[in-house]
Amino acid sequence: MRKVMIVPCSGIGKSYGTVAREGAYVVTEDLRPDATQLVPLSLLVLGDEQARADVSGAQAITIDGCKLACATKMVTESGGTVAHDLAVLDVYRRHRDLKPSGIAELNEGGAELARALADEVVVLVDRLTGEVKNA
Amino acid sequence: MPDLPKKKVGIVACSGEEIAEGTVTRLAALRVLEQLRPNETVTICLPLFLAGGEGDRAFARFYPTIALDGCDRRCAARGTEMYSGKPAASVVVTDVVKDNHLGTARRLSEAGKQAVDVVAGQVAQKVDELLGVTWDRKQQVADPSQPTQESKAKVATCSCGSGIPVQVVQVGGQEVTLIALPLIFEQFHAAAKLPGEGTAVELIQTVKIYNPIPDGQEAAYTEAVMREYAAFCQEEN
Amino acid sequence: MLELTVDKFTFRVPKGLYYNDAGVWVSLEGNVARLGLADFAQQRSGDMAFAEVKPVGTALKPGVEFASVETIKVNLSLPSPVTGKMVEVNSALGDAPEWINRDPYGNGWLAVVELTDWSSDQARLLDADAYYALIKSQAEEEAK
Repeated sequence: MRKVMIVPCSGIGKSYGTVAREGAYVVTEDLRPDATQLVPLSLLVLGDEQARADVSGAQAITIDGCKLACATKMVTESGGTVAHDLAVLDVYRRHRDLKPSGIAELNEGGAELARALADEVVVLVDRLTGEVKNA
Repeated sequence: MPDLPKKKVGIVACSGEEIAEGTVTRLAALRVLEQLRPNETVTICLPLFLAGGEGDRAFARFYPTIALDGCDRRCAARGTEMYSGKPAASVVVTDVVKDNHLGTARRLSEAGKQAVDVVAGQVAQKVDELLGVTWDRKQQVADPSQPTQESKAKVATCSCGSGIPVQVVQVGGQEVTLIALPLIFEQFHAAAKLPGEGTAVELIQTVKIYNPIPDGQEAAYTEAVMREYAAFCQEEN
Repeated sequence: MLELTVDKFTFRVPKGLYYNDAGVWVSLEGNVARLGLADFAQQRSGDMAFAEVKPVGTALKPGVEFASVETIKVNLSLPSPVTGKMVEVNSALGDAPEWINRDPYGNGWLAVVELTDWSSDQARLLDADAYYALIKSQAEEEAK
């Protein structure tokens, strides 16, 4: 079974980018390490052979910090299949009490938002891997 | 003469998620941007830059940038060169810090945190160097021996001291100063875009990024810019 | 269109609109005015997470809140630039407040107000050149 590729934007200009990055780590290292793999976006865009091979033929879940949706756009342009795309901003709207701040280091709200984001991603991962199993 | 923002340095970090060095670049860049040189530097967000962020790309075309990379795949440096221009300086963490026990991408060790300090200090020093010299975009080399003012009669640098070349052109009988026009001409010429109708549209769109054009005057400005560009190409050839 | 570039940011100020100090723009459409948040104000505020506009029928006068927006950086109360009654609100902003960021002078409009004292209101507002000068001084101060 192919792993689901997780591609965060890791934007450095806003807290949302750090939340995306941390959320991706929670998914790929803590919650679903056997079912997922993190793909660095820049490597993919700049044509790294391994990154392209990982994404080719696999289902990807992109995690964008904001609605500019850089990860979603670039995974698509790099030939990847975006099965689901999430924006941290939308996750924040669903968890208004978890206001993130800090880019180098997230506040508690940001760390909890990353976990909430990861929980939403995991539901999507399970759906994708479940679909593959049943195919 | 329009006022211009002061000269700053753009910082582009790879933020690579797979290795600790990628986290070092991210944190070192933020240390410089937020603490060490907050008034002299500007964040260039690499994913936005690669995805087509025109503000970031335009800034990186005309201001010096420092690329911070975690490894020799050099995504930040290559990406900057691909869409704007060669970075004025490039730092690769594995060249600076030989210790490979930096922790993980998610959690840096004490050695990793020290690496952030070292890299950030180096970058801050490079910022100081770049702001103290002229950035020669044609040669893509920082040359302290170059005068800060262009000596050509019609080309000058803006009086704000930012170092951005400006050029005075005649539009409908009036003198108009256009920011960055000499650099725009250099770029187009280097890309072998000859004076002509197809080039005119792209050229005026580029000019508009840096210069407001009054309503109803785009045709006059286009004519003036194309006239100057034709003269520029003739001089260069 | 006036444009101010500071560092990597470009702020657009359309001519033909009026503005108050808080960055609310006014577009006169006969006897009504369409209101929105100017480009400089939306960029400085950040990504819109929530936008709430007072309901149709709300009576307004200059300075009275007609809408509020929330980002992770700020909670912004937007004061009305005009006198009148709200006759239309942009319902799209409930699900997609990002329109304020993406298209502040178009699809990101906030409300339409039926005007009752435009001559007095107009005298208090800034035209594009005056608003441009205001944001220029603010932006340059922040960029230092």
